[in-house]
Amino acid sequence: MSTAIVAQHVRRTSLAQRHPSVLMGSLCVLAVVLSFYSLSVGATDVSMGDVFNAVIGNTSDQAAQIVVQFQLPRVLLAWLVGIALAVSGSVMQGVIRNPLAAPDVVGVTKGAGFAGMLLLLAIPGMPVVAVVPAAFVGGLAAAALVYLLAYRRGATPVRIALVGIAVSAAFEAGIRFLLVRNPLDVSAALIWLTGSLFGRSMSSVLEILPWVLVLVPLIVIWSRKLDVLGLGDDLAAGLGEPVERTRRTLLLFSVALAAAAVAVSGTIGFVGLIAPHMARRVFGGKHVASIPAAALFGVLLMLFADMLGRGLAPPLEIPAGLVTAVVGGPYFLYLLVKTGK
Amino acid sequence: MTSSVGTVPKPVEDVTHKRPRIVTNKQRVTWVTLALLVLVVAGVLWGLSIGSQQIPLSRVPGAIFKADQPDELIIQSIRMPRVVLALCVGAALAVAGALMQAVAANPLAAPEIMGVNAGAVFVVVLAITVVPSLSGAPTILLAFGGAAVAGVSVMLLAGSGGGRVSPVRLALAGVTASSLLISLTQVLIIFDENSADSVLFWLVGGVNFAGWSDIRNLLPWLVLGLIGAFAMARPLNLLALGDDMARGLGQNVERTRMYGSALVIVLCGAAVSVAGPVAFIGLIVPHIIRRLVGSSYTVLLPLCAVGGGVLVLYADIASRYVKPPFEVPAGVVTALIGAPIFVYLARRQKVTS
Repeated sequence: MSTAIVAQHVRRTSLAQRHPSVLMGSLCVLAVVLSFYSLSVGATDVSMGDVFNAVIGNTSDQAAQIVVQFQLPRVLLAWLVGIALAVSGSVMQGVIRNPLAAPDVVGVTKGAGFAGMLLLLAIPGMPVVAVVPAAFVGGLAAAALVYLLAYRRGATPVRIALVGIAVSAAFEAGIRFLLVRNPLDVSAALIWLTGSLFGRSMSSVLEILPWVLVLVPLIVIWSRKLDVLGLGDDLAAGLGEPVERTRRTLLLFSVALAAAAVAVSGTIGFVGLIAPHMARRVFGGKHVASIPAAALFGVLLMLFADMLGRGLAPPLEIPAGLVTAVVGGPYFLYLLVKTGK
Repeated sequence: MTSSVGTVPKPVEDVTHKRPRIVTNKQRVTWVTLALLVLVVAGVLWGLSIGSQQIPLSRVPGAIFKADQPDELIIQSIRMPRVVLALCVGAALAVAGALMQAVAANPLAAPEIMGVNAGAVFVVVLAITVVPSLSGAPTILLAFGGAAVAGVSVMLLAGSGGGRVSPVRLALAGVTASSLLISLTQVLIIFDENSADSVLFWLVGGVNFAGWSDIRNLLPWLVLGLIGAFAMARPLNLLALGDDMARGLGQNVERTRMYGSALVIVLCGAAVSVAGPVAFIGLIVPHIIRRLVGSSYTVLLPLCAVGGGVLVLYADIASRYVKPPFEVPAGVVTALIGAPIFVYLARRQKVTS
């Protein structure tokens, strides 16, 4: 039924659409293998045997300590942030029916980053847990602002994207202003400007975990509603869907996920844009399949970006957000060229 | 006087009735020019007097010509280059923006939005990373290359949909290409293990590290670019009438576009390689000046040069108040001013698709 969206992205059914579980399973395996490999990459070389020892709980020697203390939180965060951003992007693209929509394109990431940073710097003793709600409010405000500003007898995809980028630029200017007023060290600054998993601990994992655990299953359960919304407002209303309410709730979930991701990792760009596209390409437009697939692609992207950033020239750290930007920028340009035709 | 009042009432009325449009326009230009010049003088004095070492205004003018005491040395060797460079960089970027908007027939065209600045920065940082001793003239030439390649690629990408390039698509393609180049630049900076200062400098741009050598490097290109731009005012005015009309009036439209683009690359490349990508000058200054004096390039371009200088100068002054005694790059301030105006301009664009 939802051919309108499907036809745009996938022209024929692929092998993956006929046997989704096989490919999904192999993606899962790939992500797990990559995670293990990622645990061993870093400033100090750790052998795969040590990694395995550490993961099964044998944390006696020094190498295992390194893995558990420094590498494990990063890999877990890569999973959680990847899932959060990708699912957030999927929902946004589905709800706004806009292939260019993504948390970073509509200003959510920068807005969340700005609000989070404002809170951290304005109230020095602030517990980091409070950053998530602040980022949420900031992200929501940014998204609302973009939508309001872009709305002129309807809001077209390209227009939302342009206004979103302009609003993002404004928030980025704000972030930079805060940064120069309150100079943190360089790595902290880069984390906020470009997004990174560097120097994160288990507490960051615990901050984002509840959001992902609650919201992602909810969204997957609601994925049929996304399919229905994809049919267009009239048809969806005809099918008995309270369109506006569903849309608003789903957008709220999407912003919350993106904000949680930003609060722990800074403003990582393009994952929320690319992962859903990859998923739709491979698995088709049905959200019940494409959302989990997008989550997996998000995880793979984050693992890859983080690993590359760590492993390219150790001990130097290239923030994961830079890697995703270098990969994602061309992809966005490609999408832009394609939507123009 | 009193006797003549009754005799010539009509001509007087005619004159006042006929002339207002022309007069106000000319008056406006005069007033805007005067105001900008006053702002320049005030800004220069202010910029020379403030900083980590406060120097009373009364001693500033004397220090411009002789440097005997420490205060005067500070002014001559640290603050003067800074103020002069602010004026030069602002002029270069603003005029480049005005040229770009004319050449692309696109209100959102600006060096920072079309990726020209980011391209120049990327190439300069790449060059400095590979050959650390590199500086001055060769860097500027490399910056031209980066600016040209980035700008042309963005034009091609945005135009690949076929037909006329819409402002919105151009802006989207440009901003994305910019962010890609900026990310690559950041990667280079991290590899080079530079300090936070240089990261900020190449990301936001500013004139707080200015020295006389920067000005010596920039000046020839600035003069070339400005003279070229002012000489092009007439063809640009014709171009504004639309391609067909301009052709009908005997313009070689393609040649005008090419010269205009070359000047943009010279101005931006030179400005960016000495001051970093100071944000939004090229976008907002032409729009503001056009609002004030109309769109004739004969007055627009020179006033943009002065206006851009004023904006960077005051942004630099404001940046010294952000966190005294430290100094932050002026680009932070111009981004804060410029981004909302970018939002306003983006919002106004019509989307046909």
